[in-house]
Order: sequence, then C-alpha cells, then structure tokens
Amino acid sequence: MSLAAPASTGTAAPARPPRRRGGSGRHRAWIPLLFISPWLVGFLVFMAYPVVYTGYLSLTDYDVINDPTFLGLDNYRELVSDEKVMLALRNTFVYTLMSVPAQLVFSLVLALLLQRAGRAAGFFRTAFFLPKMTPPVAVGVLLLMLLNGQSGLLNELLGWFGINGPNWTTDPDWVKPGLVVTSLWTVGSSVIILLAALQQVPDELLDAARVDGASWWRRLWHVVLPIISPTIYFIVVVDTIASLQSFTEAYTAFFGAGNTTYSNDAALFYAIYLFQQAFEFLHMGYASAMAVLLFAIVMVVTAVQVMLSRRYVHYTGGAR
Amino acid sequence: MSTLDRASEAGPTTSVTPERLATEDAVPAEPQRSPRQRGTVARVLVGAALVLMTVAFVYPFVWLVSASLKPRSDVFDNRLIPETLTFDNYVEVWNAAPMAAWLVNTAFVTVMATLTVTISSALVAWGFARYQFRGRNLLFGLVLASMMIPGAATMIPTYLIWNSLGLVGTLTPLWAGNVFGTAFYIFLLRQFFLGLPPELFDAAEIDGAGHWRVFWHIALPLTRPALVVVALFEFQAAWTDLMRGLIYLRDREDFTVPRGLKSMLDQFGFGGEWHWELIVTASVITTLPMVIVFFIGQRQIIQGVASTGTKG
Amino acid sequence: MRLGGVVGVLAASCLVAGCAQGTGDSEEETSDASFDSNATLSGTVEVMGFGAGDEIATTRLDRAKKELGDAKVELVEGDLDIQQFLSSVASGKPPSLVYAERSQIGTFASRGAVVPLTDCIEGEGIDTSVFRKSALDEVTFDDEVYGIPEFNVVQLTQANADLLQQSGHTIDDVNGSDWDAVLQADKDMTKTQGGDLQTIGYDSKLPEFLPLWAKANGADLISADGRTAQLDDPEVVEALEWAVSVYDAQGGFGEVKALRDSADFFGDGNQFASGTLGAMPMEQWYVNVLNDVSPNAPMAFDTVRDEQGEPIAWASGSAWAIPKGSPDPEAACRMARVMTETDSWIAAAEARVAMRKKDGGLFTGILTANEDADEQIRAMAPTDGDDAWSQAVAAMYEANDHTFSMPANPAGDEFEQAWQDEVNKVLTGDKDPADALADAREAAQQALDEAWATWDEK
Repeated sequence: MSLAAPASTGTAAPARPPRRRGGSGRHRAWIPLLFISPWLVGFLVFMAYPVVYTGYLSLTDYDVINDPTFLGLDNYRELVSDEKVMLALRNTFVYTLMSVPAQLVFSLVLALLLQRAGRAAGFFRTAFFLPKMTPPVAVGVLLLMLLNGQSGLLNELLGWFGINGPNWTTDPDWVKPGLVVTSLWTVGSSVIILLAALQQVPDELLDAARVDGASWWRRLWHVVLPIISPTIYFIVVVDTIASLQSFTEAYTAFFGAGNTTYSNDAALFYAIYLFQQAFEFLHMGYASAMAVLLFAIVMVVTAVQVMLSRRYVHYTGGAR
Repeated sequence: MSTLDRASEAGPTTSVTPERLATEDAVPAEPQRSPRQRGTVARVLVGAALVLMTVAFVYPFVWLVSASLKPRSDVFDNRLIPETLTFDNYVEVWNAAPMAAWLVNTAFVTVMATLTVTISSALVAWGFARYQFRGRNLLFGLVLASMMIPGAATMIPTYLIWNSLGLVGTLTPLWAGNVFGTAFYIFLLRQFFLGLPPELFDAAEIDGAGHWRVFWHIALPLTRPALVVVALFEFQAAWTDLMRGLIYLRDREDFTVPRGLKSMLDQFGFGGEWHWELIVTASVITTLPMVIVFFIGQRQIIQGVASTGTKG
Repeated sequence: MRLGGVVGVLAASCLVAGCAQGTGDSEEETSDASFDSNATLSGTVEVMGFGAGDEIATTRLDRAKKELGDAKVELVEGDLDIQQFLSSVASGKPPSLVYAERSQIGTFASRGAVVPLTDCIEGEGIDTSVFRKSALDEVTFDDEVYGIPEFNVVQLTQANADLLQQSGHTIDDVNGSDWDAVLQADKDMTKTQGGDLQTIGYDSKLPEFLPLWAKANGADLISADGRTAQLDDPEVVEALEWAVSVYDAQGGFGEVKALRDSADFFGDGNQFASGTLGAMPMEQWYVNVLNDVSPNAPMAFDTVRDEQGEPIAWASGSAWAIPKGSPDPEAACRMARVMTETDSWIAAAEARVAMRKKDGGLFTGILTANEDADEQIRAMAPTDGDDAWSQAVAAMYEANDHTFSMPANPAGDEFEQAWQDEVNKVLTGDKDPADALADAREAAQQALDEAWATWDEK
C-alpha cells in the first residue's frame, strides 16, 4: 500500500507474518514508553499543540509585539475576500497542475531510458540525481540566471533553433512555466523510484506480451504502467503535496528584501504569501487562518487522490 | 523541495528491509535484457538521448563553476571556458560576506540536526518495533498521520515557542526540534528493525542483557545501513534548508549558507549592486559540500531514495 | 488512550493562560531612560539598516563614535529588512537604533515598534528647527516626533545626450513638461533587433514613481490629513495610463524590465554608459554614481517638470528611530543627534569634496533633511559650469526647492504596498489602470482606517 492509507500500513501487521515478540508480556509498560518518549514529547509540543494553537490564533489579531485580540471569524471573512489569497491559490493550483504531470512524464521517460542504459546505467543515474542535491536557493539563483530573457543560456539555446525565447523571469505568463522547467531539473528522486519499480516488472509478463506481438508502446501502456501504477500514484501524491507547499525556489528568485518593488505576482505561491503574512508583516492571526485553509486543502486533495486510486491503481497482491 | 521534504511530506510506501538495504542493490545493477536483439538504431537513439539528458542535467553545474571564474562583466556571457580566467571572486566573496561564519554555522546546525535526529529516531523506532504495549498501534498511526500535516500548520506556534524561550536569533531552532525524532525516519528505521530476527534479541535478553544494552550494542550496530541513509537524508535537508533560516536568523553573522546566499542575492542581484560574480561564487560554495556528500554516500542515498518508493 | 486528554488540557491551559503574549507591552520603554547630552555613555549601540558605504556615512559615523565615548557602535549590515526588524522587536531583542525610510516610521509607530523621541530630543538638545518641515512632519504623529530625519531624496530627469541628439530630441522633450513629447522621444529612441528590445527609449520608473506622475498631473495619492486614499482620482488614473503607455510603446514592461535587469546599474556598464537607455527620472544620488563610474558618459540633466513646465520632485528620505525595548536608548539618541547635526553634514561634505578632488571627479552635492546643512553644502558644489554634471547639481537644487511629500500617515508601508501591488498588475497586463487603482484605493483605505483606529484610540 502507499500513502493512500498510511495509518493502515502502519497499524496493520507488517508484510511479514506476525510473530511473537520475545517476552513482550514481561516488560513493564514504562520501558517501551521510555524509548518512544522523545517522539511523544515532540509530538505533543511541536505537533499537537501547534496545530490546536494555530486554530486558536486564526481567530485573533496578533502581531507578537502586542497581545492577541479575539476577532471571531473575521480573519476567515477577510480570507475569502482577499484578492491576493485567491491569486496565490490560483498560482499554486496552476503550478501544481503543470508541474506534477510534467515531472511525472519526464521522470518516466528518463527511467525508461535508464532501464536500457546497460552497464552505464550507474553513471547516468548519478548524473540525473545530482541536481537533487543542489540547495533550492542555488536552484533559484540558477533559475534567474539561466532563464533570464535577455542573456540566459536557455534562450540562447532556443535561439540556435530560431526560437525567440520568452522572458521567463519577467513575463507573468512565462514565470510559472519557467518554474516548471526548473522543477524538471530536480526530478532525480522520482527517476530513481520509477526505475526501481520498472525493474520489478516480471520478465515473463513482458515476454508473453511480446510473443503476442504487442508493440513496445502497447507493452508499456498495457503491461508496464499498470504494474508500476502504485509507484506512479505514490509519486503523484508526494509531488502534489510538495507542489502545493512549494516555496524556496520561487521565493529565492522573486521575493525577499531586495525585491519588494519588483515582486512578481505570477510567482506568488500560497506558501510564500503565508510566510509573508506571518513573518514579514507579523500578521500571525491572519497567517494562521491561511494555514488552516492550507491544511484543509491538502486534506481534501489527498482524500480525492485516495478515492481516485481505488479506481485506477492496480495492486497486484501486495506481497512479493 | 529536498529529498527529505518529499519523503517526509507524505507517508511512503516503504518497506526498507535489511535485506534490501544491506544486501540487494535496490536499484538493480542488472538491466533488463530482451531476449531478442534490439535494433541498433534504437540503441543508438537511447544512447544519444541519455547523453543529451546527462548534458542537460550536469551543464548547469559546469556553467555555475565557469561563471564563478569570470570577471564581473563576463558572468552572463554563457561561455564554457572563461575568456578571462580569474580566481578573484573566490577571494572577494570572503570580504563581501562572512562566508566563513556561514559555513561554520551551517556545519554546526547540520551536524547537530543529523546526530540528534538519527539517534532519537532510532530510539523511538526501536520502541515501536521491539515492544508490544497498549496503544502502540494508535500511537504509531499518529506517527504516520503526522507526516501528512503541512509544515505551515505548525510553523507559527513553533516560532512562538522558540520566541518565548528567547531563542529566536540563535541557531538552536534550526536543529533542536530534531531531538524528538522525525516521523519519516522513525517509520524507515522501524521497518528496518522489524526485518531483524527477534530471536537474536531474545537470546541476548536471556543472557541477561538489559533493554538499553540490547538496543545500543546489538540492534543499533545491525542497523548501520539504515542509519547511514537517515543521516545522509538529514544532512542534505539540514544543509539546504532556507525557510527556518529566514524565520529564525537575524544577524548576518548568524546566517546559514542558504540564508546567506539569499541575502547576497538580495544585496547584489537585480535592483541591487549587481555583483553576480559574487552570487555565482557563493552558489558554488553553497552547493559544493552537497556534491561531495553525494559522491561519498552515493550508493546509500540512491538506495535509500529507491526504497522510499517501492512497494514491499 | 489518554493522549487526547493530555492535548486538550495542554491546549486549554494555553488558551486560558495565553501562550501568545505581546512582548512589547511589558514596560514603558523610555520612561527609565534619562537623556542628557553631557552624560558619559557605555555599552554597545547596535544599529540596524544603516551601511557605512561611503565617506558621507563614515565621516559622520566617526564623529558619532567620538561623542559616544566608551559606547561602541555595531552596524547590522544591509538595508533595513522590515521583517528582520519587527521580529527582533517581537523577540524582545531589538537593536538600539534603527535607520528606516521616513514613510515606514508611521507603520512602526502604530505597531508600537518604535518609541516617541520627545524626551530624547529634549535631553540631547536636538535642534529640530533646522529640519525641513515636510520631513519632520512625515515622522510626527499626535504631536510627537518618532524619527530624526536624515537624507532627502528628489528625482531628476537623467538622459543620454547622444541618443537624444541622434533621434532629434532635446532634454526638454523628456523632462515631463509635455507627455506627448516624452512618448514621441520614447518611440524615437527605442531600438529593437529581431523582436528583442536593445535600447529603452524612456523608462517611467513604475511602479515606484507613480506619486511623481500623479502629482505632475495635479493629484495626490493621499489626502493632506493622511486619512483618505485618493488613488482612484481620474488624474491618477490618467497619469498611470500615460506612464504605462511609455512601456507599451516598447513592447511592454516585461521587455523593459528584462533589459533593465541585465544592466550593471552601479558599474561602468550602466545603462547610460552602454547607450541602452534614452532617459528616465531617477533619484539625485544616482548622479554621483554616474559621475564616479562613468564620468565620460554623454549625459544631459534637468529637473522633472509638470505640464506647466514647473520643476517638481517627490521628496522622501530616511530617518533614525529608537525601537521599543532598545537596550541603549541614551546612546542611540546621541548617535541620531550627531549623525544629523549641521556640523556633521558639513564635515561629511568636505570629506567628499576632498576625495572627489583627489580622484579628479566632481562634487555633486548632498541633499539632507537639515536645511542649515544644505544651505552651506550648496555653496561647495559647482552649479555654474556648463557641463552636464554642473547642470545636474543645479537641477538637483532646483528640484529640492519644488518638492511635495507624502502626508504623514501611520500606514505608510501598507499604503505603498497597496498601490505598488496594483500598479504591478497593470504592468503585467492583468488589470486596466482604472480597475487597478480602484482596488488599490480600497486596500489602501482599509490599511489607513485600521492604522488610524489605533491612534485615535489613544
């Protein structure tokens, strides 16, 4: 199973047959508690309490300097009429809808190529994964420079083919596509995960399909993709959640202390606006309301994906 | 998003068994070979595509290093070999910014974050893997559920906690949360512990070894491959994190390298003093440690990533 | 499990006890500070937002250090980062002294992040009568001064004389006195190659300079009492439409910004030296930059002018303020005094004159919020020559005598944010000027109302 039901993955017995834990009955109750106590304390202080407290703060006006004042639902009322919130949501959804499929298709292509790379696979795999190690701040810097409309490398390359490249970093219509292009550079981990899944596709099935005269494309579509669909699903879910919260690359390139007058609305993601409200304007109450909304959105999107997975994801028995 | 973000933001489908991590190359070395000879044309095309893609993935690094060796006016010229080769930027960047302090700060945060999260996550994972106790499944369900909570939902109260402790403006909030373990790593390590033969620990207990001894001297050494994966993931995540640096750090001398690089971009970039040669040089310095870590821990990182996605 | 209960108790106790408390309201910050210009000081003055980048800064800083005696000065480098500043106040660890835009002081004051300076001014004996009235007004709320004004900033028309000449225009065509002429000169100086913009004809400097164009067209963005946003005034809309049309004639703002961004603004590859910009209104300090890095650039200068041909400039500038909870307000106050007093400015100007003489450059004057200082420094700057740089200095002083400023308001920062955001939307083509400014008015008015409410309650 996958993320679809994390709780059940964990609480249900693991894939192996359940076995008796040696002498578990003899242990006094506080011994396991002692082992898990770091997490227990951390969960209470840095997870449960903050989630509850975010809910409380969302009903107040609080700037840290002065005491919070209780507002009731005013922040939420302001939220639904705040044009910038709507803009940020739209930007975030548009980016997610572009980047998740683009990353998936691109990483699948790369994984399929790697699968046929023979002995050099290790080398290419390293090359594809390397950008994933790059600090996102540096990725933001590279975005500004390589995708610069005037002197960027990308437009110079496009120029060789007679294409007059757009102003990726300044034209509002091209800012999000520019961010998507940049995100393709860091698909390394999806490639690795997909490759691992591809390599577990049983040869017999492919051979059988080949004997039946199925073309490469048909084998991919009817045999390979269904078999690796749980992995694809996993990647889609993880990438979606990450895209909905994407922050660093866009913030680095388009926002920050030096950039305020040039702040680019097209790159204003929800997480960026939330960060600005909380830590630049110190509107902690309003930002908390935004956080509650984000929480709800992530939950809804995940729930929808779980429902879709029942329909489209093929689980082949589970145990291998 | 980093490797870690992607992994910790959602429950993975992992089953990191010891066999997989320790013995089997999770990304198998043996490529699939079709029984029939593929056409030479196809093979050439695949090879060409792979080489092309490799260039696309690696060239930005080359470009960055090359740009850092150019004088100010040539940074944007996109030449592979600098027309005028200069190492001045690497001298100048130490004057323009407290780069040494940033590197020391980041190294400190990264080491502390990595050490604490590895040990504490292992402790907790062992508690969940080895013992039966009332509420275990519920609590472990909470571990998994907590991976789904977006960081934004806890960000503000977390800041207020550190603020009330008077630690905003120090490096502590950048790593100290890690002493409580991280859900994703707990999950990863628990899976690994579950794959170890329990008889081993039973026998040790019969021989009179205490709970701590069994964990520290028997279980932990056996878990080394998984611990290394956790440590490498966290090392990368801690080194590259920007947001916490933005939230918690105030004085320039206290910055981490990513936070510092962002401040340099603000100061020297567009609309600023236009010293891109310093920005690219600082970018190289920020990125280089990660490239080194990758080449040292490549096998473990790639296996670790592969195992987060595969179905067990 | 009892876990739920534990969480509940924890949360409830926090709600009751109030985990989130204001950090700033614990004490009346300056009440225990006694300001005295003769007192001996110690400790460290941590200053945020001020950079000792040139001789104007360092000369005055050295004087301040001398007057501070044993107290050390420590500069937090970089421009003021509002987030950094507010969060430092919030965390109870603010700097001793902060250097900010005057328009930001109102925002800080209404948030309780900076304190009134009445005691400081009295104790240190700061002579406020020397300050330009408009500058002092910008930082005065409820009859209390919250900032000690420092620099003054005005705009000049700065142009490339060669490009003007080649296209058959003169500086008079781009000084703003005739908007149609500016547009024509813009079109004539713009150069493109293969669809790419190569030379910007005229840069109307949006979004920053909307207040300037609005005023040139006879409108103020905000009412004189600082309470009513007038952003949707038809004359403001007209000004915005015109300023945007300047970009549209060159293929849109995106093209202009991309080219503008790829120039080395502070270096010898700047837009004027490289011939990639015809003309623009720009702050006067840029004259000094140009004279320094590209003294041979073919420049022409004038003031910006309104439709009657009268000089016009939007005066803004910086100020010193003392944060709430400042660890060393006495020393901070003394430093603010020394940095802004007449003798310090004179000494700084003399240092620059000497320095420029050594380099073979020109002293292009300094504009401060201190009228006494300005008067004396003006005498040191050459205004009689007929070269471009002397014209620039003359234009600068002429502009300085014809300024307007934003009325003081306690939401300066939010107000600016509101109209800049909306102007950006016009520049990106998302909105037309009238809609954008109507929305801007609404957002700005809300910010003003909220901020004034906190003042009116006091």
